[in-house]
Amino acid sequence: MARNAAFAAIAIAALIAVPFVAPHAEYALDVLFLIFLYGAMATAWNLVGGFAGQVSFGHAAFLGIGAYATAIMTQNGISLWISVPVSALLAGAYSLVIGIPAFRLRGPYFSIATIGIGEATRLIARNWSSLTGGVSGLTLSSAPPLLLQYFAALALLVAAVGLAAWIRASRFGYALAAVRQDTDAAETLGVATTVAKTQALFLSACILGVAGSVYALHYLFVSPDSVFGFSTSIALVIMPIIGGLGTVTGPLIGAVIYTFIREQLAATLANVDLLAFGVLLIAIVVFEPRGILGIADRIRRMRKPPAVTVPDG
Amino acid sequence: MSYGLALIYGVLKIINLANAGFLMLGAYVTWWLFTAYHVDPLLAPLVIIPVFFLIGVGLERTLVRRVLGSEPIISLLLLFGVWLVLQNLAYVIWTGDTRSIENSFIESTVKLGGLQLSIPRLYVFAMGVLSLIALQLFLTRTYLGRAIRATAQDRDAARLVGVDVDRVMGIAFGIGIALAGFGGSLLSLLFSFTPDFGRVLSLKSFCIVVLGGLDSIVGVAFGSVALAIAEAFGVRYMPASMQDLISFVVLVVVLVALPKGIVGTLRSLRRG
Repeated sequence: MARNAAFAAIAIAALIAVPFVAPHAEYALDVLFLIFLYGAMATAWNLVGGFAGQVSFGHAAFLGIGAYATAIMTQNGISLWISVPVSALLAGAYSLVIGIPAFRLRGPYFSIATIGIGEATRLIARNWSSLTGGVSGLTLSSAPPLLLQYFAALALLVAAVGLAAWIRASRFGYALAAVRQDTDAAETLGVATTVAKTQALFLSACILGVAGSVYALHYLFVSPDSVFGFSTSIALVIMPIIGGLGTVTGPLIGAVIYTFIREQLAATLANVDLLAFGVLLIAIVVFEPRGILGIADRIRRMRKPPAVTVPDG
Repeated sequence: MSYGLALIYGVLKIINLANAGFLMLGAYVTWWLFTAYHVDPLLAPLVIIPVFFLIGVGLERTLVRRVLGSEPIISLLLLFGVWLVLQNLAYVIWTGDTRSIENSFIESTVKLGGLQLSIPRLYVFAMGVLSLIALQLFLTRTYLGRAIRATAQDRDAARLVGVDVDRVMGIAFGIGIALAGFGGSLLSLLFSFTPDFGRVLSLKSFCIVVLGGLDSIVGVAFGSVALAIAEAFGVRYMPASMQDLISFVVLVVVLVALPKGIVGTLRSLRRG
């Protein structure tokens, strides 16, 4: 644990130093920014999908609400000090609205309901033109400086990963793990499973709400099909699975791989990136459901066979 | 009325997210046979059903079987991956342009009393009903059909009484995929499509299956009628662009409020 903390501190220090060492490497900074943003989003998804085992295909809804809330408030001249927290809380509030009924469903049924919820949210955003600008979306006029965006995304990532690490080691984290392994058994042992799942979803949604704010301020444009789009929800599912479902570092590794593959392939043919992710997803699910971390674990075990391995992360 | 065909693929009991992909593929194969080889779209199912059946069996053998023992969420994710591959493969091969099949049959109509009815719609509806009947007969009257139902009810018990469970699961999966392809082929007669074609329809089919009750084929027919009525009425009160919203809302409400579906709820009411 102490070693992990020390490693994290060094990594954070290095990432803080990057813009000062290489202030003109704008492309690299942009890619790092995206990795931070995706990493935070994947970590947030993982609280519900990984820790509690409730796979959601509708998480774009929270990102979208955060993005739209920030865009609308910014257009009306409200300071970011107010609009960002409000965005987070709105996304959180929405998670309660949908979480309380949806968590009456279990496993695959919950997953299907979330597809429906995500799509319904997107359609509402498309049609509520007076508020959201309809299909054409909303445009913002000026972005905060890139450096500020970089640090905001980094701070969000550190907060999200810190929260995930803390939850994993806490009583709350154990409750979520119990829900994932056997909801009935957890219930029998006195875990308030629905409360635990709803709390996890609320935290997850708040992080995505802030991620939505960062997104809106970076791209200066939000539209129903981008932030609320199904492809956003897909990305959120894929990253933690690539890295390692239910771990702290897995979603981060997934975000790095996702961002690189996307940056490499997006320039070639449209949709080749999603095709690659589909193949990757199948391969991981079939051969190593614990993702890259699972593969790393296997390699480590091959090197020193008798060691007792404790899943870390 | 055209939603009657949704019951074709609504019979799939396992949560097959790849269904949307095969539905879309069925539509594209029909279109491709028609434009490249001038095959009548009505004959395309003759090719699609056996080929898709074999693909389904192969998919079950190679991928799905490996994850059957693990948590349900793993197979859900696997089939989600398959769907992602199919959809984006279609984008790469056929681009995202909207396609549609046009010939004289598609535009033909028939006057019945005072009503102008579209022949393809009637045809698709009739095929939907026919395949429902055929499937019901197959599942209740043949050995294989009963073996499928037995396996669905209790895999271990089926194995105990001598059912070759592995083979049966492969065949059931193959039939499911073949029906999805058939459904897609029929739908291509009615609608224009893109690689994203199956998603909304697939959600609707889940909605229908849940509405009808997961273990009842007749219930699936009920479910499709109920959803079609809800949509038809909904359109009067809200813009057409919101139409799909109705199915999603119905889906979520039904999943939460009536997890046993209409038929199941009626049954337990009768018993209670």
